[in-house]
Amino acid sequence: MMLRNAYEWYFQRITGGLLLVLLAMHFWVEHFMTAPVRRGDLTFQVIAARISNPLWQAIDIGFLLVALFHGLNGLRNIILDYGRLGKRGAGVLNIALILIGAVWAWWGITAFSRL
Amino acid sequence: MVAWTLQRVTGLLLLFYLFLHIHTISKLSQGPAAFNEAMATFHSPLFKLLEIALLGTVVLHALNGIRITLVDLGVGVQKQRQLFWIVTVGVGVLVFLAGAIPMFIFAVLKV
Repeated sequence: MMLRNAYEWYFQRITGGLLLVLLAMHFWVEHFMTAPVRRGDLTFQVIAARISNPLWQAIDIGFLLVALFHGLNGLRNIILDYGRLGKRGAGVLNIALILIGAVWAWWGITAFSRL
Repeated sequence: MVAWTLQRVTGLLLLFYLFLHIHTISKLSQGPAAFNEAMATFHSPLFKLLEIALLGTVVLHALNGIRITLVDLGVGVQKQRQLFWIVTVGVGVLVFLAGAIPMFIFAVLKV
């Protein structure tokens, strides 16, 4: 079993469900909603027009945070599933993944800093 | 075992894609010229096909995730093999085609 405890199981399912909705919306917005995106011409101007709205920024940042939790927690499950890490190793892994997630989130959030 | 491996491989691929995606999106903060230059690479037909493959990867992971959740909740435990073929593969192919066909027509063929 890849699941370590009930909370982890619960959050992986909840974030998975959220991603289903958010990703379907993201796919529609970036590939089908307007004529330029249907042609695949995603330019700065096309993205800036949408992202200048604070609500879209909030949605996209929330989306990134949910995706990072789900992805890095999934990576953690895979690593722990090999059973090679002791209690201390698992602690180091947790801290490393939290730091990676924080930097990754910051990297994405600051993309909007000049829009 | 097939579904288990599939979920891990697609999950890792999607995490790697998220890295590439944020790498590109972060160029938004360097202004229009830098961002549009970074995006120019992805306007080729090859990358449009890779985007369609990305959709396939997402659909497999999402539908297999739904199947795993159903089985965890006790739905269809006796029929989980059939669930894999019906939910993950069957519904997956339909959802994939629903996205891939318009993407191919609009973004690759540019109709």
